Amino acid sequence: MIACIRTPHPSLVAAWLTAPALRNQALVLGGLANERGTVIAASEQARALGVREGKSLNQAQQAAPDAVFQPVDTPATARVRARLLATLHAISPEVAAADEPGYAFLKLDGLALRWPNRRQLLEEIVRRVESSIAVQPVIGVAGTMFVSKLAADRAEPRAPVIVETAETRAYLGPLPIDVLPIDKDLHQYLELLGLRTLAALQAISRPAFRRQFGIKALEAYDLALGIDRRRLRPWHPPHRIEESQPLEPPIDDTQALQFIARALSERISESLLAAGLGTRLIRIVLDQEGAGPLRVEVGFAYPVTMTGEIFDGIRPRLLKASIAAPLERITVRAGRLEPGYVRQPGLLLRRDGFQESLADAIARLQEEYRPELVQRASLRQDAPPLPDRRILWKPA
Amino acid sequence: MPDRLQEAITVLQTRFGSAAPHSAQPDHPARPSGIAELDALTGIGGWPVGRLSLLAGPIGSGKRTIAQRSVASASREGSVVYIDFPGRLDPEFLSRFDADLGRLLIVRPKNIREGMASARVLARAGADLVCLDLPRARAAGLDAELPHLLHRVAEATCTLLLVQDADADDAVRYYASLILAFQRSAFIFGRDGDLEGLQVEATVMKNRLAAPGRRARWVMPYPIP
Repeated sequence: MIACIRTPHPSLVAAWLTAPALRNQALVLGGLANERGTVIAASEQARALGVREGKSLNQAQQAAPDAVFQPVDTPATARVRARLLATLHAISPEVAAADEPGYAFLKLDGLALRWPNRRQLLEEIVRRVESSIAVQPVIGVAGTMFVSKLAADRAEPRAPVIVETAETRAYLGPLPIDVLPIDKDLHQYLELLGLRTLAALQAISRPAFRRQFGIKALEAYDLALGIDRRRLRPWHPPHRIEESQPLEPPIDDTQALQFIARALSERISESLLAAGLGTRLIRIVLDQEGAGPLRVEVGFAYPVTMTGEIFDGIRPRLLKASIAAPLERITVRAGRLEPGYVRQPGLLLRRDGFQESLADAIARLQEEYRPELVQRASLRQDAPPLPDRRILWKPA
Repeated sequence: MPDRLQEAITVLQTRFGSAAPHSAQPDHPARPSGIAELDALTGIGGWPVGRLSLLAGPIGSGKRTIAQRSVASASREGSVVYIDFPGRLDPEFLSRFDADLGRLLIVRPKNIREGMASARVLARAGADLVCLDLPRARAAGLDAELPHLLHRVAEATCTLLLVQDADADDAVRYYASLILAFQRSAFIFGRDGDLEGLQVEATVMKNRLAAPGRRARWVMPYPIP
């Protein structure tokens, strides 16, 4: 079963978290009232006055002249989204963000051992989300993402809608065709034919539907039957790898700075290795005494994991950095994390993935210099006791 | 040890490296040299792993024989690289020390840069021991190449031996964790007048891992053909 968790638009939640007094007011997000633009999100009070997402701000102001108009705080919105998903991720790693803002899916399979009673599980989800982003979510539970989202749209706070798999068709039957993700032409065509509910679609056989509306419309037909072939794509919490070192007393010579940078590179490398990741961007922040922080960024052509690679990249940049005052702290952060896929097989070897096999190393040296550079020697037992006859030299 | 003290030590070690306080109890991995007297002399039970050990001494003092004996001993355990700058390595002599020649890679470079690049690549690729047999003349450019090599050696937990006839550069002496100075006390002859070995006197000139200043003297027999 899949739970669909619906919360108000994350931009609204972000605005409420910033200014709790806005909770009971008509709030329109998208820009100031005198600006040109469209409404991104509107609170319930604003919607009651006729404000809808997508309308122009001018129209919104005419509909709700006393509403509060604000631009969207994009970073805060992203934080709210991430916090909601992280909260759900703590319950089950099979969590996904929906395309529509404010919706998230959580797969409930496998949680029965911990929460045998589904009602208790849903209450726990509500409690955690409430304590995380300070809004009460509504939940719909069904066998597929499509049906669970429809259930969530029809659920009320503290009253989740649960659609058992066997009841899916019956639940969908009375719903209008508006709930299906179909284009305007198909919608009109269906209405012309008198097919206004999902039950009417369910009554048609699949081959007949296909003959009439084409293969592309079959997806909508399947959804009307409760069949959703989309796979839940799990969301993963962002991985932050950062190391910081206070410098007490502050330092002003580059030798000591390099030494510390190398130690931090080692720690970053350990964290990357533990997660099987590589980084393509290292950000260094040097906090200066009585001066602004100095930022250094080093990009890499491919994801690096090893201490040596990281330090070799940042060392020349540190030496060139124009340090104006003694440094109080150095922070090294690994950005643009990618799977260390190039190195994955090597992670199973001794040390780390950067180690190449001895045979590869020999071949590389011989190719770079000459075949006789690396040799192996063997003894010929039957040869005369002269060194040049007895010892057989061969390129390794 | 209290947590706060340990934290303070970690901060100092991060900042000052080897100059920071560290435990008096040695805790350094070592690779046995195959010579019991030498293992006792180093104070850690052999050549330090991941570090540079310098074998110094005049020609005929026995340092190269000791290095080759260590190479032979290590070849029985894993891959060994011998960077032979003078081009004088005798595999037959090594085989008499029971060296596994199948695991021995002999690099004959034309210059220091080539030899150091080979050492770096092979150390990183998993060689257990790399022995650098330097030319008699002073090796120009060694001081610039050595830090890069030492990083790789430390990362790959490889043992690095450096055999040098000439007086070692300041850089080599600085980077070496262990410096052993060898001196030949006497030749050992058999009854029939054949040369059977050397009496070697070794002094620990520098030791970052255990107490320096130790001395030892022992007879090192040449292998019988």
